[in-house]
Amino acid sequence: MRRRPTLETERLILRPPCERDFTAFAAMMGDAEHVKFIGGRQPPSLAWRSLASMVGSWAMRGYGMFAVLEKDTGRWVGQTGPWKPHDWPGNEIGWALAPGAAGKGYAVEAASAAMDWAFDHLGWTEVIHCINPHNTASIRVAERLGSVRLGRVQCPAPYDKVESIAWGQTRDAWQGRKAA
Amino acid sequence: MQAPGPTLETDRLILRPPAPEDFEPWCEMMADEETARFIGGVASPSMVWRQLCSMAGAWTMFGYAMFSVVEKSSGRWLGRLGPWTPADWPGTEVGWSLSRAAWGKGYATEGAAAAIDWAFDNLGWTEVIHCIDPENLPSAAVARRLGSAYLRPGKLPPPYETAQVQIWGQRREQWKGRRAVA
Repeated sequence: MRRRPTLETERLILRPPCERDFTAFAAMMGDAEHVKFIGGRQPPSLAWRSLASMVGSWAMRGYGMFAVLEKDTGRWVGQTGPWKPHDWPGNEIGWALAPGAAGKGYAVEAASAAMDWAFDHLGWTEVIHCINPHNTASIRVAERLGSVRLGRVQCPAPYDKVESIAWGQTRDAWQGRKAA
Repeated sequence: MQAPGPTLETDRLILRPPAPEDFEPWCEMMADEETARFIGGVASPSMVWRQLCSMAGAWTMFGYAMFSVVEKSSGRWLGRLGPWTPADWPGTEVGWSLSRAAWGKGYATEGAAAAIDWAFDNLGWTEVIHCIDPENLPSAAVARRLGSAYLRPGKLPPPYETAQVQIWGQRREQWKGRRAVA
């Protein structure tokens, strides 16, 4: 079974990543200041490998991060969703927005939809978000999603030298809050 | 789930797109210093997972990438080989790496020949190259057996920017001409 889900929120479309996303994805990963908390700048040849591995996670496991598109413009504005590389410290729901897409609530809007999908389709009972302790913008997104600080975690290579704090919540907490 | 793509068969080998079950033998290959030496060095399982995923993702995005090589007689995963053109790559590569247990049997030449046939027939390529470390004599011997010649010195993009490579290769007409005679 190959899943190619498309999710829709008020302002955004979420779909599995594809080759058309490369230019925008590489532009984001090439902006050193913008990606300093998520592993640092990647030249196009490394961004190509990152995008390919995201697409490959979809191909092999049936999930990965979604590409996030702005409905109004069709523009690629980032990625979010389930992501669990080998030896990862938990079931990650991650997010990264393109420069220029920040400050609009897109990360919370998109990550919420991705989290609903992950809890409904992957059998996950808990999610985490690994966040650099200095990344205040992402910490705010985690808090708005209702996640709480769980503690320091060790991520595997290539993030083994990066400081990461896990934030997260259980499925029961997420679905209870949505129901209320 | 296996990545989408064709399956090829040679006398002794099956070539198919990568699949999750390739992860463990791929980790073993990338943990072996001598095998990994010319393909970026020893890699941890978490890095191998990303390599495997990017190979599977390239199949999904572009309709080609390296095949996983499986020995027909044993069902064992032996390595990966085939077309591979990451961003900023110096040409249309057909590359190969086999785990140590598969060396010395002519498997690389047998598999790469099938992959080159497939690439020329399906990808519209007019040339195939192989990026080979000058100290990697076994791979240079495979290139020679495939009929490729040393073309020029080359540079690879990150993460291989410090690697020293020689570019071997041949034109489509050379390959087709030789296959027609054979």
